Amino acid sequence: MCGLCGLLGVVHWTETSAHADAFTGDRRRTIRGERLHRTKIVNAALAPLRMRLSDFQASNYILSSPTGRREIVDDIGAVWGAVERLRGRPLDPLDPGWCDAIAEQAERSS
Amino acid sequence: MIPVHVVTGFLGSGKTTLLREVLARPDFADTAVIVNEFGEVGLDHVLLEEVEEGVLLLESGCICCTIRSDLQETIRDLQARAAKGAIPRFNRLIVETTGLADPAPIVSTVVAEPVIRNHFRIGNIICTVDGIAGAATLEAQPEAKKQVSIADRILITKTDLIQPAAAIALASRLSALNALADIGRSDGRDFDADLLFGVELGDPGRREAEVARWLAGAAAHGDHDHSADAHSFVLSYDRPIDWIAFGIWLTALLHAHGERILRVKGLLELRESETPVVIHGVQHVVHPPLHLARWPTEERGSKIVFITRGVEETAVRQSLDRFLELAAVADAPADAA
Repeated sequence: MCGLCGLLGVVHWTETSAHADAFTGDRRRTIRGERLHRTKIVNAALAPLRMRLSDFQASNYILSSPTGRREIVDDIGAVWGAVERLRGRPLDPLDPGWCDAIAEQAERSS
Repeated sequence: MIPVHVVTGFLGSGKTTLLREVLARPDFADTAVIVNEFGEVGLDHVLLEEVEEGVLLLESGCICCTIRSDLQETIRDLQARAAKGAIPRFNRLIVETTGLADPAPIVSTVVAEPVIRNHFRIGNIICTVDGIAGAATLEAQPEAKKQVSIADRILITKTDLIQPAAAIALASRLSALNALADIGRSDGRDFDADLLFGVELGDPGRREAEVARWLAGAAAHGDHDHSADAHSFVLSYDRPIDWIAFGIWLTALLHAHGERILRVKGLLELRESETPVVIHGVQHVVHPPLHLARWPTEERGSKIVFITRGVEETAVRQSLDRFLELAAVADAPADAA
């Protein structure tokens, strides 16, 4: 990505560093810390699907499927479409099966 | 940032009358208007042209996905001409939709387009509802229901032609569809223009009042008529929640169910901020988070209000709970260290 594209790029609403005026005090994470925290949570949620998200140069994310297929995405909003494409079917956060699997994942990790 | 207000409402519900009245007021002299020609509604242009110089007419069709680029170009052109001095500078833009249009794509046009989003922000979505025919229209026309459900303000028009009891019954039906919107009444001339176009989340000085208003609306109507086509519910948390986990969850939810989640508005107590943060969105589009200097009431904690079509509260609550639990797990190793 060139510098100009970066300047004109669309900032995702979830990124606290891009909306520093909305988050006051010293509790906000650093850019790297925020992205690390985000990938940890997404990976815990995607663990039941054996998919994995990794940060790429603090500018993009790379999503990997269990079979080794990969897709690069710009932000968290684009992750879910990529999950669908690599998985071959939609993913529903309201699916009780996935929610139960996430709860089990949280219990195992705690 | 110039606010873009969207005036929507079914055919014949009084959008043009509202605009004509508003544009005639001195306070609104710095307003640019974009109207849309669609069949007989082309008459709108004739009426508006007489009262406002900055009127632009889109070439054809409906303001929805198919001609969204027209709207983009029109807004950009307006902004460029004002910057060059070719037209007077304006401090407010109103987009009037056709009676059949879905207002949501207009919101996404303003929010997603890189140039527009740096000069404009979404203001209020104002929906006019015909006091005489509105109830029947809501029953027969899904477009009308959606327009009402998405709105920030609802204006019942032609109230001088209906009985007070009929206006009350219609307001009750509208509240069931949209608990968050203020419902005003108009006889064509007498309405609160400041409430429609002045009080909005984008104005930091009036944000607190707006948040307090929709929290009160949600509290009053949150458990209303779940059998309705659209209904609202509130998720509450009395402890600070993790913004990152919340954002992950909401993006996943809107990706899967954005078509059925008509509005989401939230006042959040976050681990990442000492002051409250406000979020609001329309279907797949979520606006940038907003700072609130102080809590609008004594009560602390997060309240997230949803207006949905057929998405169940229990499932949404359980899903968010699971994602928030993951945040604690993700933080655990760092805390231990």
